Parts: sequence; structure tokens; C-alpha cells
Amino acid sequence: MMLRFFISSFLLVLLSSPMLAQKFTLSGYVEDANTGETLIGVNVFDQNNTIQGTTTNVYGFYSLTLPQGEYEIKFSYLGFQDVVKKIDLNKNITLNFSMSSGVTMEEVVVLGEEKDKNVNSTEMGTVALPVDKIKKLPALLGEVDILKTLQLLPGVLSAGEGTAGFYVRGGGPDQNLVLLDEAVVYNSGHLLGFFSVFNADAIKNTTLIKGGIPANYGGRLSSVVDVQMKDGNNKKFGVTGGVGLIASRLTLEGPIKKEESSFIVSGRRTYAFEIARPAINKTDFAGTSYFFYDLNAKVNYKLSEKDRIFFSGYFGRDVLNYQSNLRDIRFNMPYGNTTATARWNHIFSEKLFLNTSLVYNDYEFSFEGGQSDFSVGLKSGVRDYNTKLDFEYYPNARNKIKFGLNYTYHRLTPNVTNATSGDIEFSNDLEPKYAHETAIYVLNDYKVSKKLSVNYGLRLSAFTQVGPFTSSISGETYDNLEPVKTYTGIEPRVFAKYTLDETSSLKGGVSVTNQYIHLVSNSNSTLPIDVWVPSSERVAPQRGVQYAIGYFKNLKNNDYETSIELYYKDLENQIDYGENYINDVAVEVEEEFVFGDGRSYGMELFLKKNSGKLNGWIGYTLAKTDRIFPDINDGEVFPATYDRRHDLSVVANYEFNDKWEFGGTFVYGTGNTFTPVKSLFFVEQSINVEYGNRNSARLEAYHRLDLALTFNPKNDQKEKQFKSSFTASVYNVYNRRNTFFTYNTFETNFDAGTAQAKAFKVSLFPIIPSITWNFKWNQK
Amino acid sequence: MIRAYLHILLFFFASMLFYSCEEEFVPEINSLPPEIVVEGYIEAGDAPTSPFVILTRSIPFFNEINLNAIDGFFVRDAVITVSTDNQTVQLEEFCLDELDPIQRGIAAELFGFDLDSTDINFCVYIDPTFSMIGEVGKQYDLNIEVEGKTITASTTLPAKSNVTDYTFFDTPGEPSDTLRELRVTLADEPNEANFYRYFTSENEEGMLAPFNSVLNDLFFDGDEFQFPLPKAEQADVEFNFESFGFYRVGDTIDVKFCSIDEAHYDFWSTLEFNRANQGPFSSYTAISYNIEGGLGIWGGYTASITRLVVE
Repeated sequence: MMLRFFISSFLLVLLSSPMLAQKFTLSGYVEDANTGETLIGVNVFDQNNTIQGTTTNVYGFYSLTLPQGEYEIKFSYLGFQDVVKKIDLNKNITLNFSMSSGVTMEEVVVLGEEKDKNVNSTEMGTVALPVDKIKKLPALLGEVDILKTLQLLPGVLSAGEGTAGFYVRGGGPDQNLVLLDEAVVYNSGHLLGFFSVFNADAIKNTTLIKGGIPANYGGRLSSVVDVQMKDGNNKKFGVTGGVGLIASRLTLEGPIKKEESSFIVSGRRTYAFEIARPAINKTDFAGTSYFFYDLNAKVNYKLSEKDRIFFSGYFGRDVLNYQSNLRDIRFNMPYGNTTATARWNHIFSEKLFLNTSLVYNDYEFSFEGGQSDFSVGLKSGVRDYNTKLDFEYYPNARNKIKFGLNYTYHRLTPNVTNATSGDIEFSNDLEPKYAHETAIYVLNDYKVSKKLSVNYGLRLSAFTQVGPFTSSISGETYDNLEPVKTYTGIEPRVFAKYTLDETSSLKGGVSVTNQYIHLVSNSNSTLPIDVWVPSSERVAPQRGVQYAIGYFKNLKNNDYETSIELYYKDLENQIDYGENYINDVAVEVEEEFVFGDGRSYGMELFLKKNSGKLNGWIGYTLAKTDRIFPDINDGEVFPATYDRRHDLSVVANYEFNDKWEFGGTFVYGTGNTFTPVKSLFFVEQSINVEYGNRNSARLEAYHRLDLALTFNPKNDQKEKQFKSSFTASVYNVYNRRNTFFTYNTFETNFDAGTAQAKAFKVSLFPIIPSITWNFKWNQK
Repeated sequence: MIRAYLHILLFFFASMLFYSCEEEFVPEINSLPPEIVVEGYIEAGDAPTSPFVILTRSIPFFNEINLNAIDGFFVRDAVITVSTDNQTVQLEEFCLDELDPIQRGIAAELFGFDLDSTDINFCVYIDPTFSMIGEVGKQYDLNIEVEGKTITASTTLPAKSNVTDYTFFDTPGEPSDTLRELRVTLADEPNEANFYRYFTSENEEGMLAPFNSVLNDLFFDGDEFQFPLPKAEQADVEFNFESFGFYRVGDTIDVKFCSIDEAHYDFWSTLEFNRANQGPFSSYTAISYNIEGGLGIWGGYTASITRLVVE
């Protein structure tokens, strides 16, 4: 029934277009005149009839089909000069267009969006974050972090003190699809999640979709964080970098062949421990070290007017070596992500654009440790081979159709553990699991009338666990690629926008999502040791349905954007560890899982000031997130770990003058849930703890103020080849001791019949000042 | 295990770059009624015993706990029976203040008390006839009727573990003149799930369980291999990284290496995980009790006890 509706509506669109008057197509790429970087989300529209418009896609391509005639086509993009081109459209025209920045720069805007885009598009709960705006905000230890900035948006919660982990609208930490140039990043954190893997210098654009996930994305229930790496300046060479307290960054970019191909290479490495190494080496822990690094690289070629190819890659590792010489205890714990993406953009015609991607990604965790002749090794991870075909078809100015297919071959390695004791070896005999994940989708962004737009789409997904595999339930064995268990999903997504007047609109939508691979953590945030597991004979896919409505209003000629969004989310087949989980590496984690349902609902308020010396935003979320599991809490409803009633973020930028800029953030959130001690009891004459209901207590509220001051010494000389700036940042300005975790200690003197029980709360980051020096050099 | 290493990483991170700060707080005290806690054992093997049960109550989280001041910490007047095959015995309640000197002597030996320093009026239910002694392969059912409630539990006594050797080695890392590491060689029974718990005693001071006292054979089913057996430390001995788990040269050590059943193992493994894993890297772990109607453990041990002199 639903399927028939979707198919017939798409047919209608395809058949109706040729029956109308003679039409021609204006198409091409839009790029930054300065760097040659393609621009994402540029508005291209008929100035005299704004319904006849489109935006550039993630590759900077646009296509606009209009009836024959003369038009004034306007190109508009944040921070760039608007340009109007007179076009006599009497044939198909290819217009590659460069836009210049600079002139309107006094209008510093914090979050980049087009004028009235929030009101006019069918997108809900979608925010784009250009990196240069993020750099002006205060950062922990001066390390600019896009994932932490996302946490300042309504509906997005920080997973904990200082961490890059986040929860979106009551979804779990594994329900966020984090993409770097289309490659899935399975672990987006360094150093237990305190820093994200994204080096801001290499990033062009970040888009967060927390509301209506369109049908071209799939595989996760709650959100998409789509990060695009820079392509590299194809006009002139440049060097960008920064020196901070714990890490430094360096980026090189430039043309390989001017205006045809370019490259970018960007690296970052920490050195805090290296500075401390002489001190460490005087202790028993000599040889202990920790560092992390990232390397991003990308090249692109314009093969022809119709063909462009991109190769990009990321490689990052955390490396911990621990050594305690007194008792010869040592271990190494390297882990990290590798991604590689090859993409080919091909323009079949003015109306049909295809991107083909081949993606490889690998997350690997390993641990090797021991004492004298005992040693333990552990490995886990995910490796994917992924291929995607994404078509965009622009039949006319009113419809934008996307369709495509996506296939991934997963290899998920559980905690494969080996141990040796002298000559004897042990293993937990766990084997990697393999799976095919396939999806096809089609969606149409359809402007029904001047007031009504509908974005409707359908995604059909399938997941098959395949051999080699031996069932722990039936004992049956499966050969290579032999199907073990198959799940399918029908995922309709419908979003609509109704324009109330020029500056306000109502939006609403429903989306159904399926998730076939899962990660369960029993810590506050995800850890590198947490294991991704596939849907299998034990584990069914997670399913989610989200309903959302919103009112969007812009004030004072777009100076202010406001919105209120309400959502309700139903989550099925949620996964958690059983109450008696003890993390025994000999047991497969799936055997420790219990299953239940979840729901989350809330209201998000957003007020953003786009321009002027003072700009920024206030986001507030009122929300409730519950879980119900037959095997947890005696089957009673309990608050999810990420249930937070109130969450407030205030973000401000103030430009004093050309030289001095100020940034500040304030966050307030209801305290995290925790499971309290219900009672104490004695066994073997010592105290033990009986816990109460899961997550039935809360820590005190979390709040924190961070400030930053940026000084641009010679900003007056705009055309200078070398520019540098200093950003001084203070984290936790008023030294609030936000509780990171609690623990208890007990002392017993059973003979005397006395005991002491103490509860402690531990806070992690006090006030932390830092300074970062950033520089940029460009060839003349 | 890996989580312990993450704690080390966090500790390093925190101490290198910042100081992390902790302060004491008073958790909310709930007014839930206390629950009855069972601690009962029966033992077979080298020193088989008759069953005994200690019944206490759970208490709220108070900073200063004085068990003598808690009304009815020891649960009195329970009717407790233990049954196996065709035999049922009823346990009888004894409290320290009711015992004559000879009985006190027996109790002191059985429960490892120094009676001169014991202020608490310790109560225990025992089989006064000693007619039921733990036997390998049998199941023992516990039934407690108290304060209108029925509490039940079962435990079994598995076959004795096959410990083939104990050897003292130099300590790993920097050798020491005075400390030794003890390693045990265990020949695990193949093709069955085995569970173990061990205790150590120094110079006849009483058997104590170490921090990690239990293991299962999921990892080494059917293997014969050697592994270290850290010494159990007295609760009031301050942690010393240098000597922790090692044995002092010249001491006389008793090692009690026991086979236990799965439910018994689950109790100790969850209890020890619960004790060791507080903090940011794990949420709570509920202890897995084998008691219906209360908290605690009804556990059977099949022990093999070996006396060693540390050389």
C-alpha cells in the first residue's frame, strides 16, 4: 500500500515533466573564487520567482530546469557576495561559477546557513557547521573539536565531562552515523573520547541531521554527522597550522595542476606526554608513553567537464605503552581508524548527476600486556568494504530526485583473546562475524506549491549475516558466505513544509529507521574496548520511528532565527547488558545482552543571532528518555543513561574590532542518572553493595562556562601572505566541580562490630587555561 | 581486566595534565526495609564440614556503622533445615554470649576469630550433631523459615579439583630476598564447565579469600597449566604495590583450592566485579545470588588443602 503510493508518486513526477512547455537546464559547479573549493549548499534561484530554485549538492553541483526565457539567477551563500546573473535560457547551459568572499566579512555569522533556509527547506533538525566559525569558540586545552560544538545544539547531549561522545534525542551512542567523506567512523574519539578524531584544519563542512534523516542515509537510528574533508586549494599553495598546549597541527594544500587538480595533507599529533617523559623516566614507570595522531589526505582531479574524481583517506591512532618496571607489568594499547574513499562524480546530462563511491574503513583495537612469562593479547574491530551509487535527478525546478544503492561487506571482530603462560597458549576461540548490508533508496524533494513542499522517500534495507560461522544455539556450521540470518527493513521517510508567510513556516515529518550493527557500552561513554556486533540469530535489528513537528520563524530581516521543534521517538529492540554483566572476555558479548524498548520525547527551542558584532545562539531542550527491558529493573520502566530533563547551551561571539574577538559558551544540564546504593550487607565479614533501581538517582546539575579571546595581530592587511592569531581559552571559568563519577569506600572491623562507609564524587577538569597559536600562509 | 588498564590511562591523563578532585558526600538514605542476608556453606574434600548458616540483615548506607547498635543485625529464631538425598538436619542457633569456654574454642577455630578482641555477639546456625558432612556429588537444599518468610537455596559439591603442583618463584620484575610468587599447576577436567575458588592462610591465621578469588575454565577447558596464585591480604593491611600478592620467605602457607558449582561461582564473580568496578568505566553490576527470598550465598566447596613453606 505504502510502497504503491511511493512508486506511483515517483512515476507521476517522471512522466509529468515532458508534457509541459519547452524547458532548458542551467547546471554546473559553484566554487570559492579564492581556493577553488566547491561550495556546498549554495542557493541558486530565479530572483523574481524564488520557488524556482535549488541548492548545490555536497560536491558543489547544481541543476535548475526552467521554461525557456530570460532569468535573473541569483547565487547566494553565507559569507560570500551575492551574485545575480542574467541568463537567456534558450538552450541547456553549463555555468561553472566562482563566488568571492571577503567583502561582507564584518557580518560574522556563527552557524552557516542561507538566508531563510531554515524556513524554506523541508529539512528538519539539520544544521551545518562551517569550521572557521567553530575555531573562535573556547575549547578544552585549545583543541578545536567539531563534535563538541555539535553538543551545543539543542537535542544533542554531551556524553560526559569533556568528552566528544554525544547522544541525540534519546538515542544511544551507537545510533549516530558518523561519516568522514562517506566512510563510517566507528570510533570517533581519541583518549577515551576526550578529543574527537576530526582535525578541524582538514574539515570543510559538518552537517548534523538529528530530525528527519532523508532516505539516502541509513543504518543508524538517531542521527547523521556528515563530515566533508577539504578538497585542497587548486589555485595556490598554502600552509595552515597551529601550536597548542597538548598538540600541534600542520596542513599543506595546493594545486597539482592549476584549477584542475589539488591535494591536501593534514596532520596532528599530541606531545603532552613527551614533555613529561624525562620526569616519567625517572620513576618506576619509565617507558610509559601515550600519544595520538591523525593524518588526513585528499587529492582530486577534474578529468573533464563531466567527470571529477576524489581520493581521500584518514589514518589515526592512539598509542598507549604502559610499563611498571618494579613488577615487570607492561602493556601496549594501540587503537584507531583507517578510512579510504574513492569517488567519481559524473554528469550524465544537465539533469542527471551520479556519484560513485568505493569506501574502505577499519577500526581496530588491540591490547597486548603481561607480566614475566604470562601475556594476554586482545583484538577487536570493524572492517567494511562499501560501494555506493548515488544519483541525483533534477527533472524540473520543482522536483529533486535522489536514488541509489549501497552495499557494504562487514567484518566484525569480537574480543578475540589469546593468552600464553610459558609455552601454553589459550584462546577464547571467538571468530570474526561477516555480513552483507544492502540498501536501495529513492526520494523526491517536491515543491508542491509556493507554500507547500514535501520531501518523501523510501529506503529498503537488508542485512544478512554470512558464514563462516558456527551457531552457538543450534551448533550448525555455515560455510564462507553462506547466509546465517537475514533481516529486512522498509523505511519510509516523509517530511513536509508549509510556508505561513515570508519569514515563517511549519514543518513536520515521520521517519522510520533500522540499525543492523550495534555497540553496547556499560560505561558513561563509549570506550575503545566496546565491541560492535552485527544483527544475528541472537540480536535483532534496532528499529526506530521518529515523529517531529516544528515552527520556524526568522525576525528582523534574518538577523534572528528562531525555531521550536517537538519530537517523539519510539525505539524497538534496544540493547543493554544484563544486570549481572561482568565483562568476561571468554564470553561473547551477545550472550550478555538483554533486549527491550525505548522512547524519547522532547521540545527544542533555538534562537540564533546571525549578524552584527554580537552573534551566537541559545539552545534549550526539554526531554525525557525511558527504557523498558523485561530483564532489567524487574521489567519496570527506567530512565535511560542519557535521560536529561533540561539542557541549555548559550554560545556567543563578540567582535570588538579587527584585532580582538571574544567567544563564550555556557552549558547547563540536569545531572546524569546513576544507580544508587540501596543497602549494604556483610559476607565474609566485609561490606558489599546492593544496588537500587537502575538509573534511579541523579548527580547534581552540570554547568560550566568557557571563554575564549582571539587576537589577530595584523588583521588590517587583508592581502597579507602570512596571517596568524592567538586564541586564549579558559575551560570551566568559575571552576565548577562537576561530578564525573562517584565511588564508595568501606572499612570494616567486623570483630569490633564497626564499619565505615564513605561516598566520594570525583570531578575531572578544574579551570584550565590554554593558548593556541594558529597561522596561515598562502602563496601569492 | 582491560577496564583496570583504562583506569591507569585515565589516572595518567588526569595526573599529567590536571588534577582530578574528589570530595566526600552523603548519599541519600532510603528507608527501605532491610532484607535478610544468608551466608551459609557446606564443605567436602580434604576437610569436610557440616553445614552452617549466618543470618544477618542488610543495612542502609551510613557513614559510621556499629553493628552492635543495629537492632537485630543477626537474625534470630529462624528454623533452618538442610536436606540431601534422604537426610535432613535442622540447624541450631548459637550466639557467642551463650557459649561455654569449650564451645567458644570450637567456634573460634571454625570461624577464625580472635575471641579476645571480638566485641560483637556473633550468631551462627550449625548442625550440633555434626551428622551431615559434605559429600562430593551431592546436592544440598537449604530451607529457612523466619519472620513469616521462606528462604530457599540449593548448592552442589562438585568433584575435587586436580591441583598437580605448587611452586614458589622469584618475584617478577625486580627480584626480592624476602618475597616469593606462588604458582599453581591445575589440570582442568576436559569437556565440562569447571569453577574454582581459592583461599590462602599465613601461619595458621585463618583462611582468607583474595580480591579475585574465582575462575572458570572457559579459557582453558581441559588444559594443564601453571598460573600465579596471589596471596590474600588481611582487610586491614594497607595496599603495598611492592609486596602485594607475594609470600614472605619462611612463612607457612595453607592453600585451599576449591571446586564450586556455577551459581556459587556467579555469586563471587559478580560480587568481586561489583567491588572492583566502580567509577566511570562501568555502570553497576548486580550481584547474582543463589538465594530465593533473600540476599547472600548458600555455597558448597570441595576443597583440596595444601600446606607449604615459602622458600
